[in-house]
Formats: sequence, C-alpha cells, structure tokens
Amino acid sequence: MERREVSFRIQRYNPQVDQTPFYDNFKIAVEKGITILRVLNHIKEQLEPRLTFRAFCQAGICGSCAVRVNGISKLACTTQVWDELTGGGDDPILIEPLSNLPVIRDLLVDIDPVIEKLRQNQGWVVPSIPEEKMGFKEHAVSDDEFEVINAATDCILCGSCYSECSMMGVNPRYISPPVLLKTFRMNNDTRDTDGDERLRRVTADHGLWDCTHCYRCVEHCTKNIPIMDGIHRLREEAFERGMTGSEGARHAQAFFDDTRNTGRLREVTLPLRTKGVTGSFGMLPLALKMALKGRTPPLFVHRIAGIERIREIYRKLEK
Amino acid sequence: MEHTFDIVIVGAGGGGLFAALEAIRTDPKVSVAVVSKVYPTRSHTSAAQGGVNAALGNKDRDDTVELHVFDTVKGSDYLADQDAVAYLCSQAPQVVRELENLGAPFSRFPDGSIAQRPFGGTVKDRCCYCADKTGHTILHTLFEQCLRRGVKFFNEYFLLSLEHDGGECQGIIAMNMRTGAIETFSAQIVILATGGHAKMYWNRSSNAAGNTGDGQAAALRAGISLKDMEFIQFHPTGLRKSGLLVTEGARGEGGYLLNRHGERFMARYAPQKMELGPRDVVARSMETEIIKGNGFDSDAGSYIELDLRHLGAEAIKKKLPQIRELSMHFEGIDPIEEPIPVRPTAHYSMGGIDTTMAKTAVRGIYAIGECACVSVHGANRLGGNSLLDILVFGKRAGQEAACEAPQRKALGITPAAVRRAADEIRSYASHERYERYGIIREELGRTMGDNVGIYRTGERLRQGVDAIRQLRRRFRHIRLYDTGTVYNTNLIQILELKNMLDLALCVAVTALERQESRGSHYREDFPLRDDAIWHKHSLCTMGEDGDIQLGNRAITMGMYPLEARSY
Ligand SMILES: Cc1cc2nc3c(=O)[nH]c(=O)nc-3n(C[C@H](O)[C@H](O)[C@H](O)COP(=O)(O)OP(=O)(O)OC[C@H]3O[C@@H](n4cnc5c(N)ncnc54)[C@H](O)[C@@H]3O)c2cc1C
Repeated sequence: MERREVSFRIQRYNPQVDQTPFYDNFKIAVEKGITILRVLNHIKEQLEPRLTFRAFCQAGICGSCAVRVNGISKLACTTQVWDELTGGGDDPILIEPLSNLPVIRDLLVDIDPVIEKLRQNQGWVVPSIPEEKMGFKEHAVSDDEFEVINAATDCILCGSCYSECSMMGVNPRYISPPVLLKTFRMNNDTRDTDGDERLRRVTADHGLWDCTHCYRCVEHCTKNIPIMDGIHRLREEAFERGMTGSEGARHAQAFFDDTRNTGRLREVTLPLRTKGVTGSFGMLPLALKMALKGRTPPLFVHRIAGIERIREIYRKLEK
Repeated sequence: MEHTFDIVIVGAGGGGLFAALEAIRTDPKVSVAVVSKVYPTRSHTSAAQGGVNAALGNKDRDDTVELHVFDTVKGSDYLADQDAVAYLCSQAPQVVRELENLGAPFSRFPDGSIAQRPFGGTVKDRCCYCADKTGHTILHTLFEQCLRRGVKFFNEYFLLSLEHDGGECQGIIAMNMRTGAIETFSAQIVILATGGHAKMYWNRSSNAAGNTGDGQAAALRAGISLKDMEFIQFHPTGLRKSGLLVTEGARGEGGYLLNRHGERFMARYAPQKMELGPRDVVARSMETEIIKGNGFDSDAGSYIELDLRHLGAEAIKKKLPQIRELSMHFEGIDPIEEPIPVRPTAHYSMGGIDTTMAKTAVRGIYAIGECACVSVHGANRLGGNSLLDILVFGKRAGQEAACEAPQRKALGITPAAVRRAADEIRSYASHERYERYGIIREELGRTMGDNVGIYRTGERLRQGVDAIRQLRRRFRHIRLYDTGTVYNTNLIQILELKNMLDLALCVAVTALERQESRGSHYREDFPLRDDAIWHKHSLCTMGEDGDIQLGNRAITMGMYPLEARSY
C-alpha cells in the first residue's frame, strides 16, 4: 500500500478565544485511498480533540462536510488526499471553511442564510391537488417531464456553490445558486402551481438577473448538477411569463441581443444599457470589487465560434 | 432559555418531519417545534437509496395489501405484531401517493405512474423509488413542505434528557450546540424520532456517524422500556473498506453475488429468490462463504463480489448512478467495468423504544421511526419497509399529537432536572479524568463486531457483555479535552458514546438471553427457531444502578399463523 507523510494546514478560529483566524499544521502518514474526512477524524481523535468540523453520513449524500480544500469547495468525505497533493506531494494541503458564510468555529460555517433564502423564495412545490384529496391518486408524470428536473433534485444543499459563487462574494444579499436551482426545479415540476409567484420573488433585486455567468457553481458542484442550465431556463421563463418590465429584464434583453449579435456578452457596457448612464454609477463599487477579485469581464469581446448556430437558435426562438 | 410548545419533535429525519407536517395540517393552531442535532436535510433518511414499499399495483397488478402484510410478517420471522403490520401496509399506498402529491420526484413507468422495482423478501414487485436517491428526495420534499408550513426548527440542538413526572410528559432538556447553553422545551407532547443505533458497530456499519441512538438512550434512562434490542440487521452489501451501503436495488435490478470461483452461490442457500432472499439469509450466506474460504482476499479483509456488469452501462447510469459514484469514490472501481467488492455491514436496528402504535407507556410521549419498535419489523426488516414505517407512523403520531395536545396540561420542567444535566456536562471536563473517547469507541465497535455480530454464541456473547460492562466503567473516567462552549463537538462525541454504551449493553444482554435463532439473530449454539419458548418480545429497562433488567411481552398475532420460513 502506497503511504507517505502529508502536511495539512488547517484554518482554526474559536470566537471565544481567538481575535482572528489562524492556521494549524499537522503532519501525518497517510495511505493512498484515504479521504480528507478520514484525515480530519484522525486529527480530532489522535492529535487535537478541539478541531471542529461537521460530518455525518460519510457517503457524499448528506452534504454536512463541505470545506475548501486547496481553495476549492468540496465534500471532505469524497475527496481523496492523493488527488490534492501538489508540489510533488511536499506542499501542505490547505483546508479552510466555506466562503461567503459566517464561520462559527474552525471549519464550521453557519448555513442558516441558505435556508432563509430558500424560505423567502418558496423553494417548495405548491401542489395542484387540494389538501382533502391528497393520497388517493398520483399525478401522471412522464419520464421526459421528470428528466427535466431530475438532476436538480440531486442537490444536497452542501453550500459548495454558495461558497464558490462570484456574485455572493460581492453581494451577500444575492439570491445564490442553490436557491435559483431550487426555483428552477420547482417551476419545472409539472405538479406545481405557484411558478408565477416564485418567479416574481426571484426576479426582484439581488435575484435572478444578478448572476454573472461565471460558471463557478457548475464547475464546483459536488453533485455535478448543471446549475447554469437551470438559471438560463428561469430567465427564459421570465420572458415567457412577460416579466420584462424590470431593470433585470432590460439587462437580460441586452444579454439576449448580445448573444444574438456576437455569440457573447459585452458585459462592460451592459450596465449602461440596462440602467442608463446615471444608474450605472451605482454599479462602480461592484465593478471595483469584481476587479479586485480578478473577475472583470474582458473589454473586447470576440465572436465565438458557432455564432451562426446561435443566431439560428434565436431566429427559431423568435418565430 | 426556556421554550414552551404544544408539541416538541426530537429528530428531523423523514419520521420527525412527517409528524411535524401532519400535526400542523391537522390543527394549524397547535405550536410545533422540531429539535435536531443536525440540519434536517443531513438526517440519515437522506442515505436511503433503494425505495419505499407500497402495494400500488402499478407493476404487478395483482399485488394486494394482504400480500404485503404476509411478506412483512414472514420477513419478521413471525416476531412482528400483526395488527401494527396490517396498519403499516394498509396505509402504504396512501402515504406514498400523498408524498408524491406533495412533490416527491418518484421515478415513473411509461404510463406516468410511480415506478416499482423488486426488493428482497417479497412475492410482488412493490418498491417505489426515485433512482437510487429515494430517501434523499423524500427528506428534501418533507423539509420543503415543513418550510412552507412555517414549522419552527431548532437546528443543532442536542437532546440531553426526556422529562416526565412518572406518568405524564413534561418535555425535554437540550443543549444549543452553537452556544453550549442548556435549554428547556416544555411540551404537552414529545415525539422522539431520533433514528437508529447501528453505529455502535462503528466502521462495520453503514450508518451515519450520529446514528447513536440518543433518543432510545434518553428513553431508557427515563424509565421507558426498549423492545427487541437483540435484533440488528446486517445488510449483505456494504463496501469492503468503509462499510458504506450498496442498495438492495442493485440486486433488485439484477446484480449477481459471486464467490471467488465465480459461482452464484445463493443458488445453494435460497434457490428460488437467489440474490433477492431476505437480508438476514443473504448476509449469513455471504458470511458462510467467506468463512469457508470462498471469499476473495484483500488487505481490507475477505469479500464477495457484486457483479452488475451484465446490466449494461446504460441501466447502471440511469438506475444506479449513486452506487456507481460511491464505488468510484470509495473503492476506486467503476461497476460498469468491474464487480464491486462487498461484505455484510451493520445496517438497521429493528429494536427500539417500546411503543404501541407510536405511543410509549408515558402519556404524551411518542416514539416513531427507527428509534422506535412498534413492532412492524420483528426479527428482520424488509428492505423498503423502513421508509414506510417512518412515513406511516410519523403521520399517525403527528395527527394524534395534534388532537391530544390541547386536552393536556403543560407541566413544565423542574430546575433540579436542569441542574442534573448541567452538572453532568461539567463533570466531564474534570482534570482527574484520563480515558480517551477514540479508544473506548474503537473497542466498542470491535467488541460488537466480534462478539455480537452476524454469528453469535453464548460464549462470545458473554465475553461481549463483560467487555461492554468494562467499557462503561471506563467511560466514568472519560476526559473532555475541549472545554469551550461554542459548538463543542468533543462533548457531543462523548454524549453519543455514552448512549451507544448503554444501548450496546441492551443488545448484548438480550442476545445472550434469547437462546434460539430468529431472523437477524443467529445463535450457532441454538440454530433453530424455538416458538414454544421464544415466540415473544424482549424488553429492557434500566435499574437505579444503571444496569439492565429484562422482561417479555406476548406477540400480537393476526391473519398469518406461525410457519417455517424458507425462500
Ligand atoms: C445506507 C442506508 C440505506 C437505507 N436504504 C433504505 C431503503 O432503501 N428503504 C428503506 O425503507 N429504508 C432504508 N434505510 C433505513 C432508513 O433510511 C432509516 O431507517 C430511516 O430513514 C430512519 O428515519 P428516521 O426518521 O427514523 O431517523 P433519521 O432519518 O435517522 O433521523 C434522525 C433524526 O434525529 C435527530 N437526532 C438524533 N439524535 C438526536 C439528539 N441527541 N438530539 C437532537 N436530535 C437528534 C437527527 O438530527 C435526525 O434529524 C436505509 C438506511 C441506511 C443506513
């Protein structure tokens, strides 16, 4: 069995004693095939009983143990130590709490904000069957209808996408990817009756239109859910339902025009077209923050390959 | 902090959430709180993969409730109470459809109806499922509906004790894990829904780290008896290295079990049902093969192969995606290309808090789901019947609680009880203590696996009982190293270990007492079922001295008389 010494650099913070977070280093012998969670458990049981983190099912289904490993949000229980070795295995593996959520202690964050946003945005089915008729008959749902939401029902609310989202980092009030995904899942459930109201809520300020399409949520989803597809579908739905009066919708209209013309988004001028000249000044702090995070959109947009295909799709859509 | 509610539900798994939802639907005026040591969607119900049984007749048109009752009673090796089983099975179609109506995304047949697959130990195919994420989707659906109804959640609160005045419910004492504060919840009704205790087998278990039986232990210490504790189900197919579960659905879809000669050995043990025999039979057959030297050898111990390759990539990806993911993550194996290495793993606790249709002996205290023993599973639970159990009895408890709460008085919790809880916690941090959590827990897991496992003998069980008693004595010196109050997981571990130790003793002493083989309880020294003496429930209560006292209860029979059990 392959075995080696590995260093782990773990962020610590106990609000009762520490002014600011700091890092603790642990060097331990690890076998190939061991997960980050097994390492955390080992450290807690053998070396530092105060190390604090969440873990429950250990099988990648409960979503408790999401942490950042070498900067990326992942489930500790399904992440192999061997896959995280860098620098020929000599660099320490960095383990930190999720971003964008308040740290309670060490690796443990408060996920109440996620739940609260789900509640505000009505992340539940409002069934078409009245209460008194429940339990007698199942809705007929075709496999194709179910397939639309199938992947979205995989979400385990681990918070990884919330932590990775670039918009969350600049605007804590932003609705967040898991809540948009849940909205998509509900609005495309053929048994649901409350799509309009849900959409009205998610298209309010800090909502659906604020997503920057950075795709980090999709890239780092621990369940490989195509979250952006859901967000796109919701935007289309907002148009179909005629929710086009708002600033966000104008933004989306601009987006729609851009994609048709160049196959890409000219994000730099997007605020101008959406908010008008004066309105755009309000966006400056956001732009600055985004620039600091290295996420400013490119100034010159190149046409992407396959633009003809995209134009074709739009022509069809418009018909 | 002092809280007051009409109904307090401890546990936010499928059972607790359905109870909460139903209580509010029954009477929107009652106040309901759900207290849980993990966020609701983390509860172990999320891990249930295979499905939930209900005689919908979507697959086998001639399926009936009576056949479901028969399968369950036979599966239980005639230890289940047949009135409870009849209720369970008769309510099944309604609760499953209701869950569907509320948004649970079940897989479908081409005609749009809920799909059903074969599951172990049944004569008809009646297991309703959502791919292999059934429990996850049910849990999330119930959580969503609870949010919709404004159920009040106290997440990350740990149950410390159950309070009553000798005959009437007073409420519970719990610790707010975020602050370390001890808080009281006075309530006319308490519903315990804290899940199972099979984690006492530790890494020989498919269970979540927190399936430590906290509600059962609290009930035991509050003078409520536990029933049929000797019956622990070993699931045939745990992953070799981690004990993590590969659903019975994998065999339901047609997977083979192979020994190292490439033989489908189940032909010798259950010629008719083959791989889909009931769990106790399949698990024992695998263990026998391994003992005979027919298993595959590896560093991580001997194992059997679960071969899915003949199902084809398409079917595996569509119907068993999670199994594929688990095999890849935890064994480094893609079941499309290679067989999965498996061996039996402790999986489910049939025993639990003694209830009659969800009610305990104390007025106002209910228990449901895996922490309870109604008993519908008897000596061996059928796959797909446990999700059903939590739904049916969760719903019933919620309804009854909503009707009963307004008729009862709030009694309140005594300051003395709060002081006791606080003193206990303080005592763990004493510098005179020296025993380490990890070591005691490790030894408990080993003792349970070696001495109270699939094959049991009087001699090994006696060793097991002695070892657990010894570990309980050592526990009195256990040292809490983390003295902080903010989210002290070290303290939680210690409290959970204490619960597991108390329950382990119950499992071992009742297993030693029962001198027969029935369902999951197999005694090499008493290999036959002995109805003349042992056709009865076992009961455990805790004496003043903390030791376990034993008792018995007759079984309620019904439509199906005792019969030999063969598959
Ligand atoms: C891997 C696996 C697969 C399974 N597959 C199936 C299947 O396919 N079909 C089937 O029918 N059954 C299956 N089962 C069994 C089934 O999932 C469980 O029996 C069932 O989900 C238990 O539900 P529950 O509501 O009783 O408890 P759980 O879902 O375990 O919830 C327990 C709740 O109690 C809370 N709690 C516990 N202790 C405390 C405390 N001290 N203080 C506060 N709160 C506390 C927890 O936070 C949690 O919310 C499976 C089990 C496992 C382990």
